[in-house]
Amino acid sequence: MSGRGMNNVWAIVLSTALVYTVLSALMAVIPGITMSHMAPTPGLKPYTRQERLGRQVYVSEGCAYCHSQVVRPIREDAVYGRPSVGGDFVFQTPELLGDHRNGPDLTDIGERQPSTVWQLIHLWDPRALVNESIMPRYTWLFTVKARAAPGDVVVPVPPGFGPSTGVVVATKRALHLVDYLESLKQVPLTKSAVMK
Amino acid sequence: MADAPATAVSERADATLFSAFTLSATFWLLFATAVGLLLSFKFPYPDLATSPFLSFGRLRAIHTNGTFYGWASIALTGCVLYVAAKTSGTAIKGKAFAWLGLICYNIAAICGTVTLDLGINYGDQEYREWVWWVKLIFVAALALTGTSLVRTVAERVEREIYISNWYLIGGFVFTIIMSIIAFIPYYQYGMGQVAVQGYFMHNAVGMWFTFLALGITYYALPKLLNRPIYSYALGVLGFWTNMIFYPLIGAHHFEFTPLPWWFQTLAIVFSVGMLVPVWAGSGNFFLTWRGHWETVRRSYALPFLVVGVIYYFLGSTQGTFEALRSVQIILHFTNFVIGHSHLTMYGFITFIAWGGIYALLPQITKKAPSLIATGLHFWLAFIGVTIYVISLSIGGVLQGLDWAAGNPFIVSVEAADPYWVARAVGGTMMFLAHCIFAYNVYLMTVGRRPAGATRALSGSQGASV
Repeated sequence: MSGRGMNNVWAIVLSTALVYTVLSALMAVIPGITMSHMAPTPGLKPYTRQERLGRQVYVSEGCAYCHSQVVRPIREDAVYGRPSVGGDFVFQTPELLGDHRNGPDLTDIGERQPSTVWQLIHLWDPRALVNESIMPRYTWLFTVKARAAPGDVVVPVPPGFGPSTGVVVATKRALHLVDYLESLKQVPLTKSAVMK
Repeated sequence: MADAPATAVSERADATLFSAFTLSATFWLLFATAVGLLLSFKFPYPDLATSPFLSFGRLRAIHTNGTFYGWASIALTGCVLYVAAKTSGTAIKGKAFAWLGLICYNIAAICGTVTLDLGINYGDQEYREWVWWVKLIFVAALALTGTSLVRTVAERVEREIYISNWYLIGGFVFTIIMSIIAFIPYYQYGMGQVAVQGYFMHNAVGMWFTFLALGITYYALPKLLNRPIYSYALGVLGFWTNMIFYPLIGAHHFEFTPLPWWFQTLAIVFSVGMLVPVWAGSGNFFLTWRGHWETVRRSYALPFLVVGVIYYFLGSTQGTFEALRSVQIILHFTNFVIGHSHLTMYGFITFIAWGGIYALLPQITKKAPSLIATGLHFWLAFIGVTIYVISLSIGGVLQGLDWAAGNPFIVSVEAADPYWVARAVGGTMMFLAHCIFAYNVYLMTVGRRPAGATRALSGSQGASV
């Protein structure tokens, strides 16, 4: 049995390249282009500078490996908010939909957990707030100082979870990240938005 | 197909090249799975190694990219060049390209690891975390080693191009194209980037590693069994159906998202279609074996190929069912998916890479691995990955059922916890297996031990057409 017509190495290279390029154009390039130009969900605002910087911290620290940001239209996801629509993601590049939930979905976390203090303590040591949590501590987003300087945001760490001496002060990166987390609020869908 | 007499000099040069690929791949296997092991212990011990450079979020991408682009890509490429040369009855051509390619693979893996550890990435998108210039170095490695591959096949002595080479050349062509498409950022934003990510993360696995592993198996298996492949036609069917169906199924990673419903449905339909190439390929290998199972006990390499083919069949068939919407509702976002990725990338791809290395490397270096070490390597890796996959499969189902029951999230964490411990046990066995494999690689390459009576190496001309 021979591969007739496929005994020229260039026939293999060119035929595979041609077929694969066509399929890739159909399944990646064209959807990539068309879905990049969706209309934003009415009421959706672009990120502020702080929120954008915070989003960069989120990406850089790999938060999306454990926290998804997409709500599916199924009963299991109702706890995380309303089902996501394409217009919700218009300002989200890089996309952070994620594919694992070692932690809960964060699409609407700004609504569920709006407290800055909670978020800061949780980033310093998640187990100070949720005993069974397996989230890592992000201690490098904080500095431990002997005493707070004017303008420092001191984290009120519960006893037993802080350093033996001094105070825990949030860095700019921590504050930006919390700004971003607090911005994660779904805009309500109007009937006209759904019909689009 | 015949092993044409190559001059002793070019044979030695081929041996050096193959050895260099295997040695650097082994380094990345040890490094990336040591990272994986640390990550697995972070689940039961989340306070372990609290440092930005050892944090879960950064190391996870280092583990996946290190195993993908360091270990598996380099290991398989080394085997690929050898298989191309043997099936073409010639020496490896364009060796300078191959050496340069090996250097680029390593530079890419080093730069990728360092940048990820500094928190510099393209986005938390699986397998394309490396920033564009690192990925460019990787594409250069593909182009360079691919040039060596194509030249070897083009300058063959044999009239016909053996089926292996279709798979091998195809794998390089596909991966260069998909990398360019995925890494040009100027057209993908928001959901558009999601569409490209679904395409890329799936194609990077199925159009690269699968094609290379199948191409190597189509050579190594008949060679070791000393009999021809059961059906050339099934191999051709598998080639074309895999090539046409696979690019269509990436969106099954984003079911129930705002990607168009028909786009998701298309992906599911062709995920079912993938049963054709998977069963054609694995069936072809099983039928080649039929009546010769006793050979498995007498070979270093065949047990690895057996496990690789069985896990190819199981893992890929499992993938089809995971794509179904009713299954996704429970299992998506759970650790079941991590079990699946290790069943395929480890149980299938890595076992085939080991089978290929044990089957082919000693033939050209004339240095055999240790029999006891090979046995230990096999059983530790096989039992280890089986524990790994089963524990995460159970843990993942429990997570999914907790979410379906509407329990508080932390209940699913507590439910999965014992299975994360079991996974770390399996992972420890896997890592020990890699240390033993590294010892064997040492024996097969730079070691001084002369080739012993290695029955597995005596097969000849098995893949004759």
